[in-house]
Amino acid sequence: MTPDYAGLFSALRPEISLVLGALLVLGLDLTLYRRHSPGGRLQLALWVGSLALLTAGFQVWRAEPGTVFGGVLIIDQLAMASRLGVLGLTLLTFGITQGSPARRQPAEYVAIMLLAASGLLLMAAAQQLLLAFLALELASLSLYVLAGFDRTRPESAEAGLKYFLFGGMAAAFLLFGFSLVYGATGSVELTEIARQIAAQGSNPLLVVGLVMVLVAFGFKVAAAPFHLWAPDVYQGAPAPSAALIASASKLAGFTLFTRLLWPAFGAAAGSATWLNSGAGWFRAVAALAAVSLVLGNVAALAQTSLRRLLAYSAIAHAGALLLGVLAVGSAGPGPLFYYALTYGLATVGAFGVIAVMETAGRCERITDLAGLHRRSPLLAGCLAIFILSLAGIPPLAGFFGKLTVFSAALHAGGIRSPAGGLAVLAIALSAVALYYYLMVLKQALVAGPADGAPPIKVPRAATLALVTAAALIVWFGMNPSALLGLF
Amino acid sequence: MNAGLNEYLILSGLLFALGFFGVLLRKNTLAIFMCLELMLVASTLAVVAFSRFNGTLDGDVFVFFILTVAAAEVAVGLAIIVALFRRRQTVQVEELNALKN
Repeated sequence: MTPDYAGLFSALRPEISLVLGALLVLGLDLTLYRRHSPGGRLQLALWVGSLALLTAGFQVWRAEPGTVFGGVLIIDQLAMASRLGVLGLTLLTFGITQGSPARRQPAEYVAIMLLAASGLLLMAAAQQLLLAFLALELASLSLYVLAGFDRTRPESAEAGLKYFLFGGMAAAFLLFGFSLVYGATGSVELTEIARQIAAQGSNPLLVVGLVMVLVAFGFKVAAAPFHLWAPDVYQGAPAPSAALIASASKLAGFTLFTRLLWPAFGAAAGSATWLNSGAGWFRAVAALAAVSLVLGNVAALAQTSLRRLLAYSAIAHAGALLLGVLAVGSAGPGPLFYYALTYGLATVGAFGVIAVMETAGRCERITDLAGLHRRSPLLAGCLAIFILSLAGIPPLAGFFGKLTVFSAALHAGGIRSPAGGLAVLAIALSAVALYYYLMVLKQALVAGPADGAPPIKVPRAATLALVTAAALIVWFGMNPSALLGLF
Repeated sequence: MNAGLNEYLILSGLLFALGFFGVLLRKNTLAIFMCLELMLVASTLAVVAFSRFNGTLDGDVFVFFILTVAAAEVAVGLAIIVALFRRRQTVQVEELNALKN
């Protein structure tokens, strides 16, 4: 293989734009804008950061499909779509960063978000174990810092530490799993690994490696029983960081997970012996999905904190997304991508509402939402769209995401197969989910405001971000083929 | 006597298990942190052994990156621990219970 550095450079242009943007944000903040007010510095950082994101998006759009640098990166439909999705979700997160508690070091906050986004972009296109590990670590290390960024609140540092400890353990598991896979197949390229697995079949080293990779991804996407960090991190992290952790990082994580499981290990999953043996990953992923669905939905019922409720609902959604991963083999990545992107939009929006409310007062308990329709009709309307989309009410995108994923799972093996049974379970649990989502909306839309609760003024950027997210959810719900037609 | 692949793998598995149980059982954040590093080093040992016995160089390249990532992880982790200690005056995990429903 002759190294093709020009090809590598042109494929990495989106990441390069993001890193340059991060450096520019830091540089401008240290030189020209040093003496400005924190608000002005945050504005500048966000403008430069948004510009970097848009440039990166343009370059993703123009990228040539194909493999790069001997198969280290792959630019296909899934990579392109989820890179654009990550950039869009990060842009929305920038919109809600307005006036959040992270004003003390605005440039650092924005720069680290850009670095996280570049890690997530690499994750979406990685096709080699080493690059996958590095991309995941770049994104994760940035996200740990973002979670613990708010130094005025002890909860933020605690959230950062918990995220770091669990994430570090996941990274160690992933690395050990990768090393065993490398040992069993003699290669770090996913295509070569697939060839080796197809040739030699199951192998104890490979099975242990695969289990460890599954554990690591269970941690990363907050699937039960590896979900313990999620409620604490969602509760303690600054709202924009939590939005990024819950949306863009999940989208990129599932893209990478799908790429590892289907193209690399898929040769093994396709053969009947592997599928029926107890060691097959199909069953393991199905078990993770079932536990996440049940635990997430049931535990969310008992929550009084809004952010913890969103965290447990995120665990439940991770279960549904794992079901989408199972359906990739028969239906392609379309349903999974649609679900992950629209879920990300709704989550960013919900955290955006929380971020705006926190600048205006507090928003810890669900009852703090009381009277939101009087205090800010805009926020209440947007929140209703986001929550109803999470609950899966037609015609919003959340409904269609559930529909495509569940029908793909049912088509994959009929109602008697593990995937089909899981789809039925997920549909039944959607009714449970509807209850706790409606409890949130009852506070926001029906309950009267507490005495003396002032009207909330929504900053312009946050208005734009929230309305865009809500409009996209409605539009994707009406025109699902806009996303599904990509694959 | 020469150590074969199996001996290296057993050693790396033992180190990994040691680190894993350390993370689960220790109460001091710094000790947990060291156990995390032990898990990473155990993985590194497995990669090097495989690289040696597979006769490919991919694993050796992997090691350089793992060490770099581990260093970055130490920087971020210690920064978070220091930030937390400044606010809470403790690094014991059982006292980190501000986040509850």
